Amino acid sequence: MMVKRHSPKTEEAEINVSPLIDMVFILLIFFIVATSFVNEIGISPKHKDSTQTISDSPPLSFELPGSGRITRNGSLIQLAEIAPIVRTASSGESQSVLVKVYPGARAGLATQVMDRALLGGAKAVKLTPMAR
Amino acid sequence: MSLRRRSLDEEASESINVSPLIDVVFILLIFFIVSATFVTVPGVEVKRPEARTAQSLQKNSVLFAISERDEIFHAGARVSLEEIPRLIEAASKNRPKPVVIQVDQWADASLMSKVVAKARRNAPSVSIATRKSR
Repeated sequence: MMVKRHSPKTEEAEINVSPLIDMVFILLIFFIVATSFVNEIGISPKHKDSTQTISDSPPLSFELPGSGRITRNGSLIQLAEIAPIVRTASSGESQSVLVKVYPGARAGLATQVMDRALLGGAKAVKLTPMAR
Repeated sequence: MSLRRRSLDEEASESINVSPLIDVVFILLIFFIVSATFVTVPGVEVKRPEARTAQSLQKNSVLFAISERDEIFHAGARVSLEEIPRLIEAASKNRPKPVVIQVDQWADASLMSKVVAKARRNAPSVSIATRKSR
C-alpha cells in the first residue's frame, strides 16, 4: 500500500523551467539594450559613370565660393533658383549636376544645393572639392 | 480525515502557470533578435542640414560624422581622412555596407566632399543624413 501511494508522486515530476526563464530573460535584456533603432533619413546623390557624363554635354555646375553664396558661371544665384534651372536645363532627359565647393563653404548649404538639384530632377549630383 | 488530506494536497501542488509568461517572453526575445542591427554610432551629436528630397536610409550601414569643428568621428573616436577606406573595409567584413555621413550643417563642405569621395571608393552607396524641412 505504501509503495502504491509513492508512485503517483514520481509521475508528477516536471521539468524545472526556472533556469530556462532566467536565461531567456537575460537574452531578452541583452537584446533590448543592444538594439539601437537608428532611423536615419537623408539624400543619396546617385553616382553616374563618369565616362557617360563626359561624352554628353558638360554637366550643370554650381559653385559654392564660401561666405554662404551660390554662383553659377560666376553670377550670384539664390537657393530657390536651383530647382528651376536644373528643370529647364534637363528638358526631357535628366542631367547630372556638379557642385564645386571651395574651402569655407558650409556643408549645410552644399547639402541644400544638392537637395534642390535632386528636387529639380537631376539624375546624379557630384560634389567636387576645389582648391582655392 | 480524507477531506482534509485532499485540501492539503491541492494547496501544495497549486502553483502559478508560467507557460504564457514564457510564450510572451519568447515573442519579445524573437522581436528584439530580429530587429537588432548593431550599428556603431559615431558618438557625436550633429545638427543635420535640412532637405526636401530626404528618403529613409538603409539601417545596416557604416556611420561617419563630421562635427561643427571639422572633425571626423567613427564609432566614438576621432579619425583622420586617410583612415576612412580602412574603417569601411573593417566594418563591412564579408558584404559591402552602405555609408551614411552625418554632417553638421556648419561643417566645412570641402571636407564633406572629400569624405564622400573617399567613402565612395569602398562603399556601394554614400548618403548624407538630413532632417525633414518644415
